[in-house]
Amino acid sequence: MAIDAAHPVPPNLPRQVGLDQIPPHVPKELVRQSGLTTGAEFLANPHDFMAAMHEKYPPIFYDVGEYINAWQLIRHEDALFALRHPEIFSNEGATPFPRDPDDYFYFIPIEIDPPHHRKYRNIVDPLFCPAGVKQLEGLIRQRARDLIDEIADKGECEFTTDFGRPLPVSVFLDIMGLPQDMRDTFVSWAVDLLHAKDRATMGRAFKNITDYIKSAIAEKKAKPDGGVVSLIANAAPDGVPLSDKEVFGFVVFLFIGGLDTVFATLNNIWLWLAQNPDRVQEIIDRPDDIDAVVEELLRRWSVTFSGRVLAQDYEMRGVQMKKGDRITCVLPACNFDPSVFPNPKEVDFDRPRKTILAFTVGVHSCMGGHLARLELKIALQEWLKRIPRFSVRPGTHIEYRPGGVVGPEFLPLVW
Amino acid sequence: MPQVTYIEHSGGSRTVDVPVGENVMRGALYNGIDGIAGECGGAPSCATCHVYVDADWTARVGGPASEAEAELLQAAACEVKPSSRLSCQIVMSDQLDGLVVHMPEAQY
Repeated sequence: MAIDAAHPVPPNLPRQVGLDQIPPHVPKELVRQSGLTTGAEFLANPHDFMAAMHEKYPPIFYDVGEYINAWQLIRHEDALFALRHPEIFSNEGATPFPRDPDDYFYFIPIEIDPPHHRKYRNIVDPLFCPAGVKQLEGLIRQRARDLIDEIADKGECEFTTDFGRPLPVSVFLDIMGLPQDMRDTFVSWAVDLLHAKDRATMGRAFKNITDYIKSAIAEKKAKPDGGVVSLIANAAPDGVPLSDKEVFGFVVFLFIGGLDTVFATLNNIWLWLAQNPDRVQEIIDRPDDIDAVVEELLRRWSVTFSGRVLAQDYEMRGVQMKKGDRITCVLPACNFDPSVFPNPKEVDFDRPRKTILAFTVGVHSCMGGHLARLELKIALQEWLKRIPRFSVRPGTHIEYRPGGVVGPEFLPLVW
Repeated sequence: MPQVTYIEHSGGSRTVDVPVGENVMRGALYNGIDGIAGECGGAPSCATCHVYVDADWTARVGGPASEAEAELLQAAACEVKPSSRLSCQIVMSDQLDGLVVHMPEAQY
């Protein structure tokens, strides 16, 4: 049954975790404990781990994880199917982010399935579509240049804190219509919310974000402007204004959804660039192919996963799944599917164009995809113009963050 | 405002206003017309907004706007014809007022 977004209620889904909570319909031979996102083997080199899954795991298996048990889809074809059939693989209740049950809200639009989903996307699509984000190009370029100005003459930086984190936060503030002087505050909130080791710090960060967003919404209602917060706060699809819960759930989702993914993507790609000076030169020598470069880098360095809940019993590749089961599309693994991308670990800017899964597909495909592509393109162009030769500081041991957004924890660079 | 007529594979059709500068894929999505998925949002990086431009309009609309569009079209779910286009790459103008596009049986 479709949920009522104006009156959110917490989902009543059993959360299975651990070896003693495997439903009886799951065949024993399909049960694995892969350690995806948390295990030592994964964290040693997450992308190599996910590329190797095609040799080591069945196409569909049931993973008993540290936080949740779920079916894992690693084939490109299977993920396309699941993501394109929301009536079978639903998003309702599929986002594990914890919320206060007494003041519950939905993340909009990701937790809303068709037919209501489109109503929300129509509000912001004009700003997030290719033509919309292109209007931000000059501003993004300036933000990138400002950050590079601060480090270019130093001969070194810690990439994640000096560029990877602040660039997407600045751009986020611009597109949302929020003031740039909030940048460092937003950075610290994002770090605490998404990477704190303890729940109290996470809770405090979420409270700060909540309070700030609520006051920003009130301000934009009183004084509308062209930013996304104002667009959402003042939206009235079919003449009906969005409720406070809808507005809040929409804005807070953009905050959580947009920041860490671009951050991790930049960090992964800059690590690879720093280790591959010949490929950096190739990118510099082919300025007209920048869009193909961006697309291939996004395929090779996808950072996240996409979860769904079975809305009905369904059989796939002879595997019987039941209503209420959870599935995870292992998007980076799907982008390494050798039947679609031969020699998948090779970065090849001349690959024939295929649908990549960096941003998923289907109705819930990432609304920030065009913004992310543009940010990556500008970051590459501006960085390589100023700092064309750089490497990882000698003696650095690259460590990866455990969790659902994959990237190196720190990246010290020298030039 | 210019109008576009979208004809379903089953024969039904709808005519809607699509503003100058907007693309034909988005015209369908904003008006709740099924038959065009447009799931990448016009990157273009998928081929789920495939349409056949009506024979009376192919000369004015022209062929693929870029190499990327031509390449992506090869991955379309239904037969690719000389009149095939990705509708996200057809931008509305006054010259295209009255445009008729036919939607394929499936987008994926």
